Parts: sequence; C-alpha cells; structure tokens
Amino acid sequence: MQVTVRHLAAACAALFAVAIGSQAADAQALDRILKDKKIRITAEVTSPPFGILDKDNKPTGSEVETARQLAKDLGVELELVQVTGPQRIPALLSDRADLAISSLSITTDRAKTVWFSSPHGALSIVIGGGKNVNIKSAADLAGKKIGMTRATLEEQVVPKVAPPGTNIVFFDEHSATQQALLSGQVDAIGGAAFLINELGKRNPDKGIETKFTVVTAFYGIAVKPGNFDLLQWVNTWVFVNKQNGVLAKIYKEHTGVDLVDLPNL
Amino acid sequence: MRFFSVNDFLFILAATRWTILLSLLAFALGGLLGVLVAVLRIARFAPVRLAAAGYIQLFQGTPLLMQLFLIYYGLSLFGWRLDAWTAVTIAYTIYAAAFLGDIWRGCLQAIPKEQWEAGRALAIPYLPQLFLIILPQAIRIAIPPTVGFMVQLVKATAVASIIGFVELTRAGQLMTNATFQPMVVYPIVAGLYFALCWPLSVWSQRLETQMQVENASGRRK
Amino acid sequence: MTYVFQFGIVFDQLPLLLEGALLTIRLAATAMVFGLAVAVMCAYLRTSGPKPVRVLVAAYVEGIRNTPFLVQLYIIYFSLPALGIRFEANQAAVVAMVVSFGAYATEIVRAGVQSVPVGQVEVGLALGLKRFQIYRLIVLFPALKAVFPALASQFILLLLGSSVVSAISANELTAVANSLQSTTFRAFEVYIVATVMYLTIAVAFRGFFAALYWIVFVRGRER
Repeated sequence: MQVTVRHLAAACAALFAVAIGSQAADAQALDRILKDKKIRITAEVTSPPFGILDKDNKPTGSEVETARQLAKDLGVELELVQVTGPQRIPALLSDRADLAISSLSITTDRAKTVWFSSPHGALSIVIGGGKNVNIKSAADLAGKKIGMTRATLEEQVVPKVAPPGTNIVFFDEHSATQQALLSGQVDAIGGAAFLINELGKRNPDKGIETKFTVVTAFYGIAVKPGNFDLLQWVNTWVFVNKQNGVLAKIYKEHTGVDLVDLPNL
Repeated sequence: MRFFSVNDFLFILAATRWTILLSLLAFALGGLLGVLVAVLRIARFAPVRLAAAGYIQLFQGTPLLMQLFLIYYGLSLFGWRLDAWTAVTIAYTIYAAAFLGDIWRGCLQAIPKEQWEAGRALAIPYLPQLFLIILPQAIRIAIPPTVGFMVQLVKATAVASIIGFVELTRAGQLMTNATFQPMVVYPIVAGLYFALCWPLSVWSQRLETQMQVENASGRRK
Repeated sequence: MTYVFQFGIVFDQLPLLLEGALLTIRLAATAMVFGLAVAVMCAYLRTSGPKPVRVLVAAYVEGIRNTPFLVQLYIIYFSLPALGIRFEANQAAVVAMVVSFGAYATEIVRAGVQSVPVGQVEVGLALGLKRFQIYRLIVLFPALKAVFPALASQFILLLLGSSVVSAISANELTAVANSLQSTTFRAFEVYIVATVMYLTIAVAFRGFFAALYWIVFVRGRER
C-alpha cells in the first residue's frame, strides 16, 4: 500500500482528535475513580519507614499502608504508582496519579502547585551522620558536605539554616542520598528523623545518629488542583480515620512512635 | 542488616525482562518510525527532507535524559493520562527512530545512483523503485549497524531508571538500598547487561566482517 | 485545564543554568583529553603489545562497550568506596567519562591505525625505528586524521551522555535543571531551555571540531 499525503493527513487528524478528546476526561476525578473502580496513588519505596520494599520486595510502609486503607474505604482497586522523591508532585500534575500519599510535607510553596488535605501525619527533618562526624548544631555544618534529595522539605529548609561554607549536594532520589552517606561520599545528610533512625538500625557499625533537628512538619495527601470532589472526600476520610484511631495505628506500626495530635488544614 | 540473598538476585533478574521488553518495543516501534524517517530523509521534496533531517538532528543532538524528562512530563500537557510504560516507550521509540532513520538513510544512499536510473529507464514510478529495487539491497547493508544500534538501545534503557522506571538498573538501586551492598549489586547489574549486550555485539561484528568479505570478493548472495 | 507557560521563571535563573552548562563543557573536555590519551595508548597496546596485554585491553573495551554508562558511574561513585577508593561527585564523573570515552575511542583509533598503509610502517622499520616510535611518528597522525570525524561524533555522544552524572550529584546542567524543576514545578519550561542549551553546545563543538580539523590536518600539513 502506498503511503500518500492523504494517509498522513488522516493520521494527523486522528492524533489531533485524540488529543482534544482526552482533555474533557478530566472533569470529575472522584466520579471517574468510582466508575473505573481504580485509584492510582504514588508510592515512594526508598523512603523508610514511609515507603519501603519488604523482605519479599513488595511495597509497604506507613504511607503505602495508608494508601491501601484509603482505597479499601473508597471501595476501589489500588494501583501503586512508583515514584522517586522529585516525582511525587509531577506525577500528580501530569495525571499519572490521582493522589500523592508519600509523606509530602505541607508547605506554602508546594501549595502553589498542589492542593493539600488536612494533615494525616507528622515528621521532623534532621541532620544525620556517623558517630565520628562532629555536628552539634547548624553552625557545625560549615566546611562539611551535606547530601539531600531534591524536591523534599529538607531541600527547602536546610540551605536556610546552613552557614556559608557548607557544601550541599543534591541527589535525584532517596536511595542515592542514603548510599552517599553509607559510602562516606558525604559527611551527613538531611532527612526525616525516622529515616536516620532506620539507617542507624540497619547499619550498626556505622553508628548513624541524629545530630540536630532542623524543623518539624505535618504532611498530608495531595491532589491535583481542580479536583474539589476528590479533595473533599479525602478530607472527610482523614477526619474519620483520625477519630477512629486507624491513622494512629498505621503510623505507630511503621514508625514506632505515637502519632501527635493532628490539626485541621 | 539484610544481606544480599538469592531473593534479591531474583528480583534483579526479574527486572531484566522489563529492560528486554522496553528494548524490543522501542526497537520495533522505532524501527517502523525509522523507516518512515529514512524514506522522508531522501525524498525529492525539499521541505520534507529538511523536516526529517531536523528530526534526526534534534534527537541525536540532545541528551536522552532530557528527552525522557520532556516526554514524561510534557505529554500530560495535552491532557493525555499516560502511565509510565506508555510514556517511556514513546520516548525511546522517538529516540530509536532518529538513530535508525539516520543509519538506514545512509544505507539507502549507499546504493549506487545507477540502480535508481535503471528503474527510471524501465518507467517504474518512485515508490515501487524504492521498495522493489533499492530497499532489498539497502537492507543487506543495514543489518550490521542496525544490530550494533540494538546494543546501544539496551544500554540506553538504563537511563529510564533515573525517572524511577523499574528496569534492571532501578532494580539494582532498590536492592542496593535494601541491602546496603553496592559492591555486590552493581557489578551483578553490569554483568547482566553484559550478558544481554555482548552476544549482540559479537553478532554485529561477525555480520560486519561477513559483509566486508562478500564485498571484497565481489560475490553477491 | 490549560497550561500557562512561564518561561520568565526559568530565564530568571539563567546565570545558574549557564554555570551548569560551563561545568558540563569542562567535564566533557577534560574527559576527552584524558580519554584520547588512554585511547592512543590502548590502541597501540591492542595492536602491538604482547598477547596478555592485548587480551586485557580487549576485555576493557568490550566490558565498557557492553554495559551502560550509568551503571559504570554508580560503580565508580558508590561501589568503589567499599574498597577505599573514594572520588567526589565531579571527580567520579570525569573518571567514569574517561573510562567510557577511552574504550570507544580505542576502537576508533585502532580502526584508524589499521587503515594506515602497511608501506609506511615498513619504511619506519627499514629506518631502524622502534615499534613505539613508528607508532608515534608515522602512524598516529594519519590514523587520527582518518578517524577524526568518528572521534568528534563520539565526543558529542560523550557530551550528551554526561547529563546522567546529575544522578550522583555532580552539579552540571541537568542537575541545575532538576533543582530548578523541583522548586518551581515548571518541568516543561525548564527542560526545554536546558535542551536548547545542550543543542547549542553540541552545535558549537561540531563547529569547533571542523575548525580544528582544518587547522591541524589540512592547513598545518600544507608546506
């Protein structure tokens, strides 16, 4: 069959129609999820204890289990969309996921691009390093190499407290940052306190410990701006599961710490 | 501390099938698109030729990682709700098509002018000339560099790990994270890639030598 | 939902992007110089060395050419420290790029060496020159001239491939773009600008190589 200009024009028109047509699909996110009987939620599997691979290399962790609970309560199937740290929000914005449940701390900067639910958990960002690294407060960061992952709360706050002369280096995702600390490529890293504790437990010979706390924050569930209906349902879900203690149970099970009182957004 | 176990090795091995699948998909789809690109690249109509040349220059002259980022994030602007596999496959297809199109364009151009002229002398129109006379000869020349590119493609799939796409390299990252033993995991990952690529490389070199021998002896199969 | 492009946000950070671009160029140029030295040496060893050395060089070349650059990079940056060899990010990037470029360039230079007419080598032998002298004085120049375009193409591949070193925290152009993206969430605009910058750098280098070829191989030989 000869490929003529007419054929090419038809193909272009078809492509164009698909592009235009799919724009209308965004209308009611919650309705669509209920109709498809499937919700897609981000899962970050290199961020213990929020998201990890268990010993059978299946995703689990406090945020992943929260996602499972939410999908169950909504009565739909869960599809976990594996993302790296910097992709949590872009996955949401590019419609690759309906919800981002990956320890996204609520900040006003992020609120410019996503809508947050009421917080469902809390964390603190600390600087963590080996026993032999002498850091007691922010001032001691000078002259040291501190690693952290991009698009995280630590990326936003640590540079603000770090004195001049601190060499901050960025990695594309948590596993690289953790590797950098363990292989001695950086002196210390910024990250969630839970993460530092987990690294300390798993590598007793390195003696990784929290040096000082930088900031504490609440994290929430994020939706793409415009999905009012979905956000409303998620907020209701967070409210209900705060009251019945389910959120606290999941949190304690994976972090070992009691969940603090969560304010409303 | 969790030591690297058989389970973890199997996890990495299992991820190899995603590398293979992505490579095959990109090669097949990119190949189809590449044929189009190669044919357009030698078209008699100048704007079409330039457009094809521009496409090749663009995707050969920019980093694959950038192409991945742009397609992964950018396609959503058209309202398309694409999952990771679709987006990544599209990106690698476009990438493969640019390189294959360029390789095959070279092979098409290597066919002596006389072959085209003979077709014209027999009053055969352009497209049948292309498909019945030129293409079969060009395909023979094209096989060694095409197989060579397959190796590049398999290696190129590793870059997708940076956007979290689960294939062999990403599996290595995840296992390193779980076991904290990069000294064990990454060499294993490298070994698996070598096992995939080296046979292809050897085959490509063998084809290359075969072709040189045939051309030198003036014999045509 | 329509998307409003905001390139202004990206252009505000142009100085940062240019810094990243400069590092990209420096890393690639450094890697090319050392990589070429490695290639010239290895091409010689591969053609004229004793058998065990030839096998070793072949293993090096095949090992590098059949594994992804990214994995080689991870091994150099994350795995080597376990053996006590610790490179910091930018150093690791250059080392990985030298090792990688060296392998591909070895094959290219070897092809060039083998394309030099045997007669030339025989003249050298007749003059009583040692093997390495023959290589250095007689063979190398025409070999490099013959494969210069291939080397230039390989360099462009090296340059473009360098974008993955951002994964080990080297702060070149892609890393700057990633940081910008993660703070502004303007993925599309950021990556388009970065891509245009890469394209420009690649085109500029192609022009540079064309000029270099003319200066070294054409004009320099007209006596």
